[in-house]
Amino acid sequence: MAGTVIGPGLSIDGELTSEDEVVVQGTVRGTLTSSDAVSVGAGGVVEADIRAAALSVAGNVTGNVTANERVDIQAGGRLIGDVKAARLTIADGASFKGNVDMEV
Amino acid sequence: MAEGSVIGQGTVVRGNVRGDGSLEIYGRVDGDVLVTGDVTLGDQASVRGDVTGARITIGGTVVGELRGSEAVILERTAQVTGDITAPRVGIEEGARARGALRTEEPAAQAAERGRAEQRRTVPRPLEMPRRAEAPAPRAVEPPPQRAVASAPPPQKRQPPAPVVPAFRGLQARKKKVRGR
Repeated sequence: MAGTVIGPGLSIDGELTSEDEVVVQGTVRGTLTSSDAVSVGAGGVVEADIRAAALSVAGNVTGNVTANERVDIQAGGRLIGDVKAARLTIADGASFKGNVDMEV
Repeated sequence: MAEGSVIGQGTVVRGNVRGDGSLEIYGRVDGDVLVTGDVTLGDQASVRGDVTGARITIGGTVVGELRGSEAVILERTAQVTGDITAPRVGIEEGARARGALRTEEPAAQAAERGRAEQRRTVPRPLEMPRRAEAPAPRAVEPPPQRAVASAPPPQKRQPPAPVVPAFRGLQARKKKVRGR
């Protein structure tokens, strides 16, 4: 099972640090750091800077994102903030506003 | 999976966790936990902060208050430093606890249900009963405040009062003496 799941209806105000995969279906405000993957579900809201190995966004993210591997913004996903990642995909139907740094 | 939340073993939260649904904690939370559903703390988990929920099952370490609207269960691996309040409390052999234990509904939740009952049963003045008793204390409390507020001025005025007549009296006596 996934290491950490912030379910719908749950909200965290503060700093979330993890060595495992983090799934956000609820709300996280503050900072979100994981040495594994982070995925923001369709109903998930993240108002935080995110540092992760990989990030998948199907919900709403406001904050700067740094990913070691990749960032995927899925259809219906919304990301407002700067992205620093080696790989970035933005699906058709996704919203994105911000700068991209792919370390070219 | 969609209903409950999990804070995994490798996860640390610094801040408050609150919301609906149940929560399982296997990692660390430095902050208060307040959920409407059940809270389960694994034996490797630790919370530094108050934990509020329906049914709270503790296998790990808590430094803070436990308030269960249904029950608080301390498993044999539990270490709790803080008060425990719940209608039903279970403590397994081997569990360690330090703090006050009340087998009653937590004040906030009880107050929502029936304030009059809580006023009679709880000896310690809590926030909600005070609000319920508001008319009586307000009628009683202001007079002492006025007494305290009005007490200092007479004390300040009183010392000059005897001094001045005495001084005048002395002057009068001196005048009388001089006059004679």
